[in-house]
Amino acid sequence: MSDYLNYAMKRLGQFALVVLIGINLAYVITHATPIDPVEQSISVATSFGDASPEAIAAMRASLQELYGLRGGALTQYVAFWSRIIRGDFGPSLSAFPTPVSTLILRAMPWTIGLLATSTIIAWVLGNLLGGLAGYYRDNRMLKVFGITAMALHPVPYYIVALILLIAFGYIWPILPISGGAAMNVAHGWNWPFMSSVLSHSILPALSLVLIGLGGWFLGMRSLTSNIVTDDYVVYAEIAGVRRPRILFSYVMRNALAPQLTGLAMSLGGIFNGAVITEKVFGYPGMGTLLVDAVYAADYGLVLGVTTVSIIGVSLGVLIIDLLHPFIDPRVQVR
Amino acid sequence: MTAAVLRVEDLRAYFRTRYFGIKREVRAVDGVTFEIRADEIYGLAGESSSGKTTLVKAIAGLVKPPLQFVDGAARFAFLPGVRALATASPDVVRAVRWSKLAYIMQGSMNVLNPLRRIRRTFDDFARDHLGGSAAAFERIVISHLGKVRLDSSVLDAYPHELSGGMRQRVAIALATICNPQFVIADEPTTALDVIVQREVLGMIRQLQQEIGSSVLLVTHDLGVHAALTDRLGIMYAGRLVEEGPTAQLLLKPRHPYTRHLVASLPRIGTQERRSGLPGSPPNLADPATGCRFHPRCPIAMDVCRTVVPELRRSGDDHRVACHAEGGGP
Amino acid sequence: MWSIFKDLLKHNGEFRAGALLIGIVVAMAALSFVSPYAPDVSYVVAPDVPPNASNWLGTTSRGQDVFWQLTFAIRNTLLFGLLVAMLSRLLALLVGLLAGYCGGWVDRVLMSVNDTFNVIPLFPLLILFYFVLRDRMSTPLLAVLMACLGWAYDARLIRSIAMSLKSREFTATGIFSGMTTREILLEQHLPYIMPIVFSTTLNNMNWSIGLQVTLAVLGFMDIETPTIGSMIYWANQHTAIVAGIWWWIAFPVALVVMTFVGLFLLAVSLNEFIDPRSRLAGMEGASQ
Repeated sequence: MSDYLNYAMKRLGQFALVVLIGINLAYVITHATPIDPVEQSISVATSFGDASPEAIAAMRASLQELYGLRGGALTQYVAFWSRIIRGDFGPSLSAFPTPVSTLILRAMPWTIGLLATSTIIAWVLGNLLGGLAGYYRDNRMLKVFGITAMALHPVPYYIVALILLIAFGYIWPILPISGGAAMNVAHGWNWPFMSSVLSHSILPALSLVLIGLGGWFLGMRSLTSNIVTDDYVVYAEIAGVRRPRILFSYVMRNALAPQLTGLAMSLGGIFNGAVITEKVFGYPGMGTLLVDAVYAADYGLVLGVTTVSIIGVSLGVLIIDLLHPFIDPRVQVR
Repeated sequence: MTAAVLRVEDLRAYFRTRYFGIKREVRAVDGVTFEIRADEIYGLAGESSSGKTTLVKAIAGLVKPPLQFVDGAARFAFLPGVRALATASPDVVRAVRWSKLAYIMQGSMNVLNPLRRIRRTFDDFARDHLGGSAAAFERIVISHLGKVRLDSSVLDAYPHELSGGMRQRVAIALATICNPQFVIADEPTTALDVIVQREVLGMIRQLQQEIGSSVLLVTHDLGVHAALTDRLGIMYAGRLVEEGPTAQLLLKPRHPYTRHLVASLPRIGTQERRSGLPGSPPNLADPATGCRFHPRCPIAMDVCRTVVPELRRSGDDHRVACHAEGGGP
Repeated sequence: MWSIFKDLLKHNGEFRAGALLIGIVVAMAALSFVSPYAPDVSYVVAPDVPPNASNWLGTTSRGQDVFWQLTFAIRNTLLFGLLVAMLSRLLALLVGLLAGYCGGWVDRVLMSVNDTFNVIPLFPLLILFYFVLRDRMSTPLLAVLMACLGWAYDARLIRSIAMSLKSREFTATGIFSGMTTREILLEQHLPYIMPIVFSTTLNNMNWSIGLQVTLAVLGFMDIETPTIGSMIYWANQHTAIVAGIWWWIAFPVALVVMTFVGLFLLAVSLNEFIDPRSRLAGMEGASQ
């Protein structure tokens, strides 16, 4: 047990390191900019009409306060961190005065729901099919599937989303292509809303799943075709151990551990894909929030979403890492 | 003469590869004939590339491409009517694997699934054959482990938690738990230190005596053969060149290759220099004509270059494949 | 080297397919040098014309010939990918070799940093960069940025090879005979590492081109220089799909998909060739 605690501590340390480096990186990038977000915000605000110089000065002062841009570099840095810890990212410009954290919290469930379901589906299905393909090398159907996966896997998320959009939005419009749910349905735990959510999530989820599936399939297939030649599998076959037992407990189970590591490593990439996919389908998650924030030059929102996504992805990696020793008992003994 | 448990007749197994347009055929086993009797330990010796591991695989039916079972037979007494496991149907093979025929692989340290506890591995391998309730099965396993001097605590461990010697003993226990009539042991002691080696060898002999099975022991280590085997066969370049009772064969070898092998063994007390064989190891993709050993043989004659010597009786229960040994009919 | 490619071409279906696709793509890129139209001019031909004899792939709403515009776009996109790949190879080699060969705390520190870059979602960071740099985000600058962010995955691969090479006997021989670290790394280890570097280059190109297309489509980078991403961006700006000008989108997408799949197939077949285990599996297709 103490081995595990040791391991968990190390993983937590890595998590903290990643979050720290990531957030600091985001901070440095935004603060090393030649743009002054306050001036930007003011120019956007005053483009809709006149404002007296005193009003502008007052706005400038309060904006500086809100964005934490008062004082010298060190003061700003300290103020930044003290607010982050409280979860306060300041007000959003594009939806003034709604605080950034509210916007993020509103968008988060959509993103988490989409990401979690599509990642799990893609990973489980991809590994299952890939394992079968690696073991039954001569199966026709699996071979065809493999070729499809090879053609699909390298295509970036945007292109697949675009193709799906065109296919189901214009050529064969049977699925909704934008929004998280129909506009005229009340939010809540009722069936019309739930089914609307489901139908709106099919296309974005499909787009994520198609690419992910291909990748996991190919990886698992090559893993299992290597494992199949390992001594212990050959030995079990020699001994006449039942086929299903070999397939699951000797081959697939042993490929799970590296695939789990692969999942952890690719969470960042999957999130990237989700961002663009959400934007293409107008899905109200953090991805759309981020892109729209950039268009609106909403400094606080951009920084907020970036920070939260870094923390979120790292948390996902941490959870997977903590689960790892239960899948592979050799990991603990390090 | 006790009945034969295994009869091998003119077995041929080649590696055939075709990669990037280059075809290659390696004649790993090229016409081997011998038999193994009940309740005996038969040894197979030879250097690497002599074909002994391939021969054993072919006998056990472990023939996967690029290895191909080309011709011949390997008949087991408990499988009448079956020419060779390598060409038999999977159902036939499954019926005898492990219950009648067991195999201790080379490098037994790695034959245990690293993600499965020893208990589950025994379950996978033997439960179907031994049947009975879970409790009864566990009792059998524990008592069998005791024979290889392993404690029942081993059952809950993962393979990486055991030492190499312990894993080897688990592998031996795993192979013999169903009391098989025939056990093939391929280099069971290589990569073990000498003390563990001795234990393992003792265990094999003890188990063989208790169960009364026949053992086909393959190793290049003549010392192991001397200690354990009743009869010994020497392989060179895919062919059997000499065979006989171990003590007799080692004390009075009749084939030039065997003579050289025996002479090269270190002996306590003498410090004579050992001489190496001239020439290079045989190329099984392009073997020599006639006797395969003739390019390196100190007493090679003209006939050796063209005519393949048959394995002929030469003395009591002793066979040699050499033109110089002439021998009887 | 060449004989390996010839062999692969003759016997490996995936390599053939990949080579064909990439051949087409590179040919398109090469054609850009003989284009009758300069890349940055607009309204030189009638806009919104579907594919016909004189405009093979149709024209855009900005009055440009899709075919010739595409040649420039794919050339710039490919060059971008190559630039990023080469820069990040350097970084990946540096980090991977150092970490694998030196071991100890150097390894631990480098790998912690490496894992950080592996985990952090890069896309938001790149968006952040665009946000602060706005119009100053030129294509070469983006390439440098992506190289600085994209070396992590391959560095780990190189490190594990370096680690296994370190414990091989010929390395010890090299050390005993007095070779310096630099000599050992360059002369002894590099030949083993080069094949992996080559195949990871192809995958890296896929990654960087994909990211660049995504950024450009959002308008988050220099959209005046024609690249595949910027073509799609402009097509979206002019609502090409809705207006029925499908050829403006379809052909760039088709060409870039060919690039991705082609590079991937090449990388996969090269990997299969390099990895001894899969080579062995390939030999099992023997008949008689």
